[in-house]
Amino acid sequence: MEHTKHLWRAGILLLVLMAGGFVVRHFFVPESFGEMGYYRYSALFELMDREPRHGSPVACSECHDDIATAKAAGAHAVVQCEVCHGILSSHVKDDEKIADMFIDRSYRLCTRCHEQLRARPTGMVQVNLAEHLELEPGQKIPAEACIECHDRDSIHSP
Amino acid sequence: MSERKEPRDLDRREFLKLAAKGAGGMALVMFGGGLSLVSANAVSPSGSDRRGPFQYDPTKHRYIYLVDVSKCIGCGSCVRACERENDVPKHFFRTWIERYHVSRTGEIFVDSPNGGHDGFDPVTLGADVTKAFFVPKLCNHCKNTPCVQLCPVGASFISPEGLVLVDEKRCIGCSYCVQTCPYGSRFIHPETHTASKCTLCYHRLVRGETTACVQNCPTGARMLGDTHQVGDQVSEIIATTEVHLLKPELHTKPQCYYLNLTQEVR
Repeated sequence: MEHTKHLWRAGILLLVLMAGGFVVRHFFVPESFGEMGYYRYSALFELMDREPRHGSPVACSECHDDIATAKAAGAHAVVQCEVCHGILSSHVKDDEKIADMFIDRSYRLCTRCHEQLRARPTGMVQVNLAEHLELEPGQKIPAEACIECHDRDSIHSP
Repeated sequence: MSERKEPRDLDRREFLKLAAKGAGGMALVMFGGGLSLVSANAVSPSGSDRRGPFQYDPTKHRYIYLVDVSKCIGCGSCVRACERENDVPKHFFRTWIERYHVSRTGEIFVDSPNGGHDGFDPVTLGADVTKAFFVPKLCNHCKNTPCVQLCPVGASFISPEGLVLVDEKRCIGCSYCVQTCPYGSRFIHPETHTASKCTLCYHRLVRGETTACVQNCPTGARMLGDTHQVGDQVSEIIATTEVHLLKPELHTKPQCYYLNLTQEVR
């Protein structure tokens, strides 16, 4: 056994390399990496932290029960308030009103769903705006064309 | 010149002894290393309950998505809802709507002005259009996704629920995933310079709410299901009805299913 010192040298070198490897790994591999797979498991919890912007479907009726009831009886019952009015979190924070809700009066709001398009399902209520408004050729569509006739109540509960 | 020592011939017994010692030493070192790894991993993220807040257990859900093409009216409410809910930058999309016009001769016209964000205007195509429809699209949260396989830093991953998500802190913005996604579901965020994509509104799911796009779809064209819930409606539809996938030939195993999809849609 006169050559064991070679083995010792190789062994110690191996140990040093492995220890070095673990030290480097400690600094380069982030915490929770590999816990559930080849990724940082904490990232999942960071994604959870984001606050929702849209309210729950019943949130609006807590203050606007009258409109919610009227809407529930009409054809727009399937349309969430936030589709037309924007997100709840810009209107209410911690059960306090922080700003007026956005009201879009332009005809574009209505035509997004109701303008006659070849690709729309035929069951959808659609209008050819130029014909519906009896516009002259080249005449521009007035900005608030729809709500001139279809008032607030008829829009909420058509 | 001094006489050089001849290397000693090991007999079998001595060789085996040495080999056993060496192997024993190695095993000890490996075991020690393994132990330190195990103890490092035993710490849950941020030291909290691994289920996280909201009493939500990621391992108890498996989300699936269903789009009924015949119900989509192309209003773009989902695109706007997604933009507001997730602060999606202008002209980038986590979900979008494509409009298809197919002529009698088989020509296919596809458009998606601003991703359908502002709805669609009538178009004149000068072709004999025989069918037309809207197709909402989003990340398919593929089970066998190339984007996760390709990520060089482990920033893209599949969560225990089967969602394909991005770890913004790990992402180096190399955009390999953007190039490899066959569905065009990813983009590099112009401000953070990291990959960004549909999270299926993960922050809403953990609070027991549905995604912003599903909640704001006025016709119910978009549906979210959870195969781990008993009596789940969407799972039932997928199990009993003819459903389609986008680009099934790629074997990415999408978890976003389509009802009434025609073969023109790619």
